[in-house]
Amino acid sequence: MKGLLKNNFYAVCTNAKVFAAFMLLLGIFVVAVISQSAQIAYVMTGIIGFSVNAIAVVKNEFASKWGKYKLTLPVKRTDIIKSMFLNQLIWLFIGTFFAGIGMSLSWLLHGCSFDQPIDALTMLALGISISLFLGAIFFPLFYLGGEERSEVFMIISLLSAIGIDLVIINILNDILEPGPTTPLLGAITLLASSLLIFTLSYPLTVAIFKQKDY
Amino acid sequence: MENILELQQVSKTFSKSGFSLDHVTFSLPYGSILGFVGENGAGKTTTIGCILNTVIKDSGTVKLFGREMLDADTDMREKIGVVYDGDNFPPYWTAKQLSKIMDGFYTRWDHSLFQKYLEDFHLPPGQKIKHYSRGMTMKLAIAAALSHHPQLLILDEATSGLDPIMRDEMLDVFLEFVQEEEHSILLSSHITSDLEKIADYITFIHNGKLIMTASKNDLVYHYAVMRCRESQFRTLDPGDILAYRKRDFQIDVLVRNGKEAERKYKDVVVDHVSVDEIMLLLVKGERV
Repeated sequence: MKGLLKNNFYAVCTNAKVFAAFMLLLGIFVVAVISQSAQIAYVMTGIIGFSVNAIAVVKNEFASKWGKYKLTLPVKRTDIIKSMFLNQLIWLFIGTFFAGIGMSLSWLLHGCSFDQPIDALTMLALGISISLFLGAIFFPLFYLGGEERSEVFMIISLLSAIGIDLVIINILNDILEPGPTTPLLGAITLLASSLLIFTLSYPLTVAIFKQKDY
Repeated sequence: MENILELQQVSKTFSKSGFSLDHVTFSLPYGSILGFVGENGAGKTTTIGCILNTVIKDSGTVKLFGREMLDADTDMREKIGVVYDGDNFPPYWTAKQLSKIMDGFYTRWDHSLFQKYLEDFHLPPGQKIKHYSRGMTMKLAIAAALSHHPQLLILDEATSGLDPIMRDEMLDVFLEFVQEEEHSILLSSHITSDLEKIADYITFIHNGKLIMTASKNDLVYHYAVMRCRESQFRTLDPGDILAYRKRDFQIDVLVRNGKEAERKYKDVVVDHVSVDEIMLLLVKGERV
């Protein structure tokens, strides 16, 4: 597992450095101006952007024979998939960290730009949820459909993740009465549902990967 | 003699392409090199895939170090070094990073040995692999395959990107590797001259079927080709003919024992045969 995590880290690192620099610049702008929409964009870009970077690793591995070579190393197929899922969680955490720092600094300097402080948490939950759904959909699709379709799978996964979250939000808006705890309930529902699907996606991806020939 | 690798009736069918690996059976003894020869698309890489579990076989058994290797048998993969043709590693890595990553995979990864290979092969450790020439990437892959002290090397067209001088250097490295009795190499290649230099056994595969396995000495010293006219060909004992190929004015006939053929058929020209020509006759020729 150590080798797999190192491998994933090196694979994401180059793109992540560029993206982190971009996030830093964007962060300075977001902290400097007082804008709720800029903050929302920053949170979403940070969390989802780092996740997309992490996911793109799988595709890059098959640009060379490394994806196949890895199967000859002393690792199990299950561990290869586990490392991919873990990698996404790690970069999701990093993205959330960036988003959290940006939001916190803005809050410190200008106060809360949302109607209620809990809305900031909901925003983070939405970003995390989209990222988890993205991974949960992308990984099994990628291993099922093959590396040559990875770009379209990435787009499908991202749009589906956004779509699923919008559907959940709509359903919650219909069934939950407006109240002080409603945004918190909404955030918990988004996080729980995406985490559940992400967890279920892991054994599914393992099952698909175990049947694949390279 | 004990075998480090044994394949028994290994079959695999790809439904999309229709290609089948058909009951492939061969073995590789400890301390030897087996050359695996066949034209492009003959099934060499699929066979290697079945050995390494990158391809899931339909039937048959593959025994490595005396037992079947399952996905969970990571300890067995510690003892195997692999080199594929082309880009084995992501192009954005450096050799230095590769060493750090491999150290995370192999319990016996040897940084200093890897470093020594980098120096011997003149590979800059800090340069990204994408800036390496094809020959350099192959040398890097060979260095990586050797640096965890494997017992078995599986090389799939590993010398194909190298010029003759580099190939010769690599062949020396392989010969040095098999000096240890516990070490063996499975070397798939269509550069038959390489195999003639270093292989102890040669296995021919064509259209997914194994057509012949023989010791290299047998092939070089005993196998021969008879150059026959049509009338001479008709008088040959069918039992002597391994394969034959009609050409414009003669028929080339592959026989197992050239000296015996010379004694038996006095008026026929019998020539030594190269591995290349054997492959051509087996692949393009006909059987009786």
